[in-house]
Amino acid sequence: MRRVPLVARVALAGALALTGAGACSGGEEPLRVLAGSEVKDLEPLLKESGLNVELTYTGTLDGAEQVASGGADGRYDAIWFSSNRYLSLIDGARERLSTQTKVMVSPVVLGLKPAKAAELGWDSAPPSWSDIAAAATAGRFTFGMTNPASSNSGFSALVGVAAALSDAGDALSAEQIHAVTPQLKGFFSAQRLTSGSSGWLADAYARSPGVDGLINYESVLRGMNLTLIYPSDGVVSADYPLTLLAASPKKAEYDRLATWLRSGDVQRKIMTTTFRRPIVPGIGSEKPVLELPFPNRRSAADELIGAYLNEVRVPARARFVLDTSGSMEGERIDALRQALVTLTGADTSASGTFSRFRNRERVTMIPFNDTPRPPSAFTLPERDPEPALREIRSFAEGLRAGGGTAIFDALRTAYQEPVEPGHYTSIVLMTDGENTDGSTAADFDAFFRGLPEGQRMVPTFVVLFGDSDVEEMTAIANLTGGAVFDARTGSLAAAFKEIRGYQ
Amino acid sequence: MTRRWIGAGLALLLGAAVAAALVLGNREGSGLTVVRGVIGSEKKPFFDDPQVKAAFAKHGLQVEVDTAGSREIAGSVDLSAYAFAFPSSAPAAEKIKKDRGANVTFSPFHSPMSVATFQPIVDTLTKAGVVTGETFDIRKYLDLVAKGTRWDALPGSSYQARKRVLLTTTDIRTSNSAAMYLAMTSYVANGDDVVTSADRSAQVAEAVAPLFLDQGYSESTTEAPFEDYLAMGMGKTPMVMIYEAQYAAHLFAADGAIRPEMRLLYPSPTVLSKHTLVPFDEPATRVGRLLTEDPEFAALAARYGFRTANPQVFAGLAKNTPLTTNLVNVVEPPTYDHLEQLISLIEERYLKP
Repeated sequence: MRRVPLVARVALAGALALTGAGACSGGEEPLRVLAGSEVKDLEPLLKESGLNVELTYTGTLDGAEQVASGGADGRYDAIWFSSNRYLSLIDGARERLSTQTKVMVSPVVLGLKPAKAAELGWDSAPPSWSDIAAAATAGRFTFGMTNPASSNSGFSALVGVAAALSDAGDALSAEQIHAVTPQLKGFFSAQRLTSGSSGWLADAYARSPGVDGLINYESVLRGMNLTLIYPSDGVVSADYPLTLLAASPKKAEYDRLATWLRSGDVQRKIMTTTFRRPIVPGIGSEKPVLELPFPNRRSAADELIGAYLNEVRVPARARFVLDTSGSMEGERIDALRQALVTLTGADTSASGTFSRFRNRERVTMIPFNDTPRPPSAFTLPERDPEPALREIRSFAEGLRAGGGTAIFDALRTAYQEPVEPGHYTSIVLMTDGENTDGSTAADFDAFFRGLPEGQRMVPTFVVLFGDSDVEEMTAIANLTGGAVFDARTGSLAAAFKEIRGYQ
Repeated sequence: MTRRWIGAGLALLLGAAVAAALVLGNREGSGLTVVRGVIGSEKKPFFDDPQVKAAFAKHGLQVEVDTAGSREIAGSVDLSAYAFAFPSSAPAAEKIKKDRGANVTFSPFHSPMSVATFQPIVDTLTKAGVVTGETFDIRKYLDLVAKGTRWDALPGSSYQARKRVLLTTTDIRTSNSAAMYLAMTSYVANGDDVVTSADRSAQVAEAVAPLFLDQGYSESTTEAPFEDYLAMGMGKTPMVMIYEAQYAAHLFAADGAIRPEMRLLYPSPTVLSKHTLVPFDEPATRVGRLLTEDPEFAALAARYGFRTANPQVFAGLAKNTPLTTNLVNVVEPPTYDHLEQLISLIEERYLKP
């Protein structure tokens, strides 16, 4: 089953208008909703409402920042993400929200291939998170999960695991997070796939026969051939609150949509077509799950994400193949420098902070024009990353444009770097034009197919920029199991930040 | 000559346009006086009820409401956009009355704070001595919380969760139902006495703060956790602090939301949430008076689970339900200033890392 198109366009999303056939919705302005990509699967259902609704998609964290800063006021009437919890922790955010209506529920759980679940005995007796962590530490299974800094399913899972492992029974504090970090490390040593979105994760999983399962929404996992494991000490669920912005004058339209979504028929359809649990009592028959407490301080939530990125997760090996040909001269090379500097901690927003190069990560820069330059590697230490970040910054600022465009020779160089086990390797390819020098697309195709399996598992995330050859770039993403990010109309920095969720 | 004719024609046209506008205007507004109010969210279904709207229309009124937390209504909401405020507690109304120089308030309905829970929880807490019959003993509950007790550590617990024994409430920083819970727990923590001095506040806040902070994330409106209770059951919300009216409304409507294993308990002591309307102009005063004095509104309000001035109305509906009509141990909430001080002291702790 295909879940998601290869072109991921979260930060740069276009709006989708869902104008229904209802008699009274003809000329009126639509209800503009800023939404998470998680609710995209409700589009067909929304069309049946006859209401004029326009959905614009963005990442959870980006959306939260837009709302908290007031940037969403006036541009949108409502928001619809899988959860408002992180958003509500940001200072000043609650005042910007008006009525909220929960629409449906989906817990974040572990799904394993049936044979693996049986081997571990978890198909008959549900394990606790500690049992799961012990099995993961011992290497008895592997899994994929979205990045907690860019996707709510990953964040919910991280909160759940940490809360359960801390064994405190109450809300997580920074101290408790510190105490459970070693156990978390064991747990996440079994993580083989990461992703900025649930959809791409499912695609990557389908391409990775060696991975035993996924942590994701129950609703997503139920569409796959997996045994669902509900940890005995509880989970964290998404409740999809459709929330009116306080600045919006469209209260009546919001009320109509909310009432429609909660009507019995629609709730039943949500249940049968999307596998989510209805929020209206008396419709669903799913066994209730135990819910773990969620942090009530932003500092604790951020601490948890920070600990995951810097200390817990499998460290990343990020290779950047960067076009510095003559056509990049001027604004374009400036944008590239800026985009890289953004990732060195210059962007102090939450999404900026979480997308910076992490402790324990190795970043390799491969600028190219007629030929690739020799790779420059920067390794961030376990602590005190600032000197390494400074080096990357000055490297980025020293990039100059000139010469031709040897895309495939450069990409080949990136793939020739050895792959270290126990790390998560990926490549970013940014170019603003067509291949003019060196080997061809066909040459690269043959080269790639001849690589050892470990190297072939490395995905390339391509960034469309300037006059990129869309077809050729998409072919690279398809061949390597990567994805396409479009920065032709938006900013290069935003595209780079978004890709960080996949590294 | 021609000019004059054009002028006359234009005047005729304009006259017709004005007449049309008048007719359209009348049809649109139905000739009703629009009264805008800001209210606690739990009263919204009442104001949205077509029968309530029709009852107001009979008196030439059209009441439109926005919702906000009671503390926001008393603090941050710009009240100049509204003709009345209708918070869910007497202390908040008292503050608004003082700030706005209103000379009259109406308290048309009230509702005791109560605990919505499930039979296995009742059984477990009965064994632990916290629950007797329908009574939830706040003192004994505070003792359990102070010891950091978990559900699976209670003897004979049929709720095997490693979570702490904690009542779910809304966010104390925004919501009135949590403030009412603070009113009753601060009373007990203050040696069975209403907090009336600043120097007692610090000590009491210290004692009751974990009741809120240790829950983790809490929702900002009273509907949300009750909805979780109804839809997601014991796994998420084993027991939740609500207005009795929220539970009673579903019972009276017999809509199937209250399932057989659900139970309602009354805290001892409990606090009454006195929904108090503060009018800022004459039409709003009429709204307040109608709600308080007109039996039609009292009957409608009772259907939403509220207790009204005439106890017979509620008692009639509550017959053959688990709702109790005689509340024994009811205490007064602290004054607005003292309650506010307690909340601020707890709020400070949210900011500490």
